[in-house]
Amino acid sequence: MSGHEHAVSADGVWKIFNEGLSNEVTALQDVHLTVDTGEFISLIGPSGCGKSTLLRVIADLTDATRGQMRVAGVTPPEAREKQLYGMAFQQAALFDWRNVRRNVELPLELQGWNKDKRKERAMELLEMVQLADFAEHRPWELSGGMQQRVAIARSLAVDPPLLLMDEPFGALDEMTRERMQNELLRIRQETGKSIVFVTHSIPEAVYLSDRVVVMSPRPGRITDVVPIPLGVDRDEDTRESDAFYESVTAVREALRGHVGGAGMRARVGEV
Amino acid sequence: MSSAAVLERTVPPTGTRSSGVARRLKNGSISLLWALAGIGLVVLMWELVKWLGQYIPMPFNTSDITMPHVWTMVSAMGEPEVRGSDTTVFEAVVSAAFRSMTLAVGGFIIGVAVGLLLAVIMQRFLFAERGLLPFVIASQTVPLIALAPLIVGIGNRIEIGPIQWSTTYSVMFIAAYLAFFPLSVGALRGLQAPSATSLELMRSYAASPGQMLRKLRFPSSIPYLVPALKVSAAASVVGTVVAEISTGVRGGIGRMLIEYARQITSQPAKVYVAVFGAIALGLLVAALVTALDVYLTRNLPKENKA
Repeated sequence: MSGHEHAVSADGVWKIFNEGLSNEVTALQDVHLTVDTGEFISLIGPSGCGKSTLLRVIADLTDATRGQMRVAGVTPPEAREKQLYGMAFQQAALFDWRNVRRNVELPLELQGWNKDKRKERAMELLEMVQLADFAEHRPWELSGGMQQRVAIARSLAVDPPLLLMDEPFGALDEMTRERMQNELLRIRQETGKSIVFVTHSIPEAVYLSDRVVVMSPRPGRITDVVPIPLGVDRDEDTRESDAFYESVTAVREALRGHVGGAGMRARVGEV
Repeated sequence: MSSAAVLERTVPPTGTRSSGVARRLKNGSISLLWALAGIGLVVLMWELVKWLGQYIPMPFNTSDITMPHVWTMVSAMGEPEVRGSDTTVFEAVVSAAFRSMTLAVGGFIIGVAVGLLLAVIMQRFLFAERGLLPFVIASQTVPLIALAPLIVGIGNRIEIGPIQWSTTYSVMFIAAYLAFFPLSVGALRGLQAPSATSLELMRSYAASPGQMLRKLRFPSSIPYLVPALKVSAAASVVGTVVAEISTGVRGGIGRMLIEYARQITSQPAKVYVAVFGAIALGLLVAALVTALDVYLTRNLPKENKA
């Protein structure tokens, strides 16, 4: 990559489901967003605000109705074909019939890597997520947190410049969750990946991100972008610092400023 | 994160493997004992009913012709098949059961291949599912008795180069015809089983349709495939026996059942030996499928095993 390209850039992106029909839903309305190379961005907002949809448009799991999306300077389909991003979901989605190592090898296998190189790379990644001892175990023998670490290792397998994470820690308990956040920050420091991270949790978004993108539902849109001035080195003490609380408050207010009435309507609409 | 060696859930140490085998052996011999006890119980009941029949009127005939003694059946095994022949009834039944098994297994393999192929096509193309599935279901509503002479009739006119259609192919074809249906329906469900997340994951890796099938859909269909294989195997055995009878193919257990049944007045125990042969045939095929099951599910957690 030539450096000046953004990891992600969205220019007036719309996503409308069932356009022209009576059940038309505007999931994304005129989204403008750039993610710099090496930047950590969180997308936060209540259900239905389009944060997952935005991530899925970036990943080419769905296409934009209007507007232009660029991933590392190319279109999302090209980025997907070239494996320019790795993805992690709320469910670890490990394959039961493969052991841990062969789960991490899966994307490499699909790219036609040979057996030895695959194994070497997978072990390197399991080393990174501190699960090398469990390489030959079956996924169901691991706890939820360990499974999610395997999924992260897998998303890094082809060494993509960008990580897309859709509430990866959403199903974990609070303690595991905080440990996983530290883990992710460490991996980010070691690898220098750009990361787009979808979450429901304000403290999680603040702790991890350089900028928090606040979104609002019906229609799904970006209402605020809150920079988080916590620096690069973050640890458990950061969680207790005044600067952390100030950022949490800033994000909460940004959410409240726009969510209030719309959120109530959303809830009525969902029934 | 401290150390990954801190386990959040117990991971079974690999050392328990040998004791696991011992446990399985022990469980195996216990279930064998139960099976033998079950057979013993059936024998006892049989003789009890016969004995009671002498004193109390029974709703069915308990004479030695319809219900021969168990020991008569056993000794019938050692008698010559026809007067003066060297082969005993037992040998004749074993060879007939073996022949039927070859046909049943052949039909099973063809049925599985066709069933899988249909399932893959139906999974891949929605229009194929909509178009084919009704025919697949309708195919099973045609009575076999009506179908058998038709297949023999059409088959006998088939001649591909040096290969001449024989009636045994018709038997295999009928067995396959019954076997493909449960398999294609089960396999279709299995191929559609992967979660949305798994499918999106594969899509994010830019997996080709072939890779999608090999790396995700086939492995996730196994828990659905195994019960379907069992039903198909049973169907192919029943199909073989019925097809042998209705096409008149000699040498198999189906034809033998009919022939022995005609001799019931002179040698009443003989037909039971043939029935045991048919049962043994079914059990043998079931054992083959169980072996297949153990092989296919070797990598799956227990709750997924069928």
